[in-house]
Amino acid sequence: MKIKKGFVLRQVCGENVIVGEGLDAINFGRMLCLNETAAWIWKKAQDTGDFTVESLTQALCQEYDVTPEQALNDVKETIDNWIGIGVIE
Amino acid sequence: MTESRYYIVAEHLFCTEADDSFLPLMDNYKPFLHDISRTDGEPCPPLLFSLNVTKGRITGYTEEFSQEEEGQDIICGHTAEDHPVFEFRWDGNTAGWLVCTPDYRQGTLHLSGYEVKSALDNSLMILFAMASACTGTALFHAAAVSLEGRGYMFLGKSGTGKSTHAGLWRKYIPGSGLMNDDNPAVRVKPDGTAMVYGTPWSGKTPCYRNVSAPLGGIVLLSQAPYNRITRLEGIGAYAAVVPSISGKRWDTRIADGLHYTENALASHIPVWHLDCLPDAEAARLCKETITV
Repeated sequence: MKIKKGFVLRQVCGENVIVGEGLDAINFGRMLCLNETAAWIWKKAQDTGDFTVESLTQALCQEYDVTPEQALNDVKETIDNWIGIGVIE
Repeated sequence: MTESRYYIVAEHLFCTEADDSFLPLMDNYKPFLHDISRTDGEPCPPLLFSLNVTKGRITGYTEEFSQEEEGQDIICGHTAEDHPVFEFRWDGNTAGWLVCTPDYRQGTLHLSGYEVKSALDNSLMILFAMASACTGTALFHAAAVSLEGRGYMFLGKSGTGKSTHAGLWRKYIPGSGLMNDDNPAVRVKPDGTAMVYGTPWSGKTPCYRNVSAPLGGIVLLSQAPYNRITRLEGIGAYAAVVPSISGKRWDTRIADGLHYTENALASHIPVWHLDCLPDAEAARLCKETITV
């Protein structure tokens, strides 16, 4: 999986927000607020380019003091949400 | 004969180089004329951009995106050398092509001869918006009024009644004045305050005033069968401001610059949402709430 072209993570009044700015995302027309974990996952996914739920779970475990089960749940929930909204492919 | 003219809008200096036969089409720029040979008075800001106006066509370019508004199409693209191009079409006829350097410091407008004034105004607005995007400046789609030394902007989609609401202020709020009816400019300062400015662009209303005021508030308008005003904070305020600023957001540098300005405004300037009728009570409620 990868993040679709044109979506950008912005800091808006101290919060993490995904906005559509690129030509492929210009008609997104909404803003997606992320909590701190989701923002971390987004940045990791952006840096990785092509990612899987497993690769992000592994990365999350290395960064944060969480159990693999908790990390997997967080990543799955976040990714499912993003697939639903259409910001990853 | 080609003549260079200098203008200052929102404390930005720009230059037009055009045949003097175009000057009768540029009356709306007169209040902003600047005589660069004068050395007295305020120091002159650095040159933001210059526009060269010529007749002719361009040989072709790659289209990226087009937007349509009120019978006018603006098609954005780029030349083979990756220079940004904007084509202006009215009712299917091309008025001109604006070719810019990638940093928008220089532009050349190639006029077809059709809708010359619109092509000129569009070119200068685009160059102004793009070249100033990274300086904390934004050209808004809004109406702006002044009251007691402060400026207030009304935002909303086309047809919402921005001009109507500004008109209601002028009619029912003593001491208020129209700064600009369609395209005021805003600059954020390093301390978080902001200024709003009149510009040579004001839609269908001939209101080309070289005026400025500290920005006291921003009001997003919606039509409703009642009048109600609520404060917007944080992301809500940001989301209200962003759609009122046009820019080529797929150019990362411009998107970053506009985001900085929008975030500063959402963080420091009071932003409101006014559900309203087109009546005197709407203007009074708005004034009582936002001018404290």
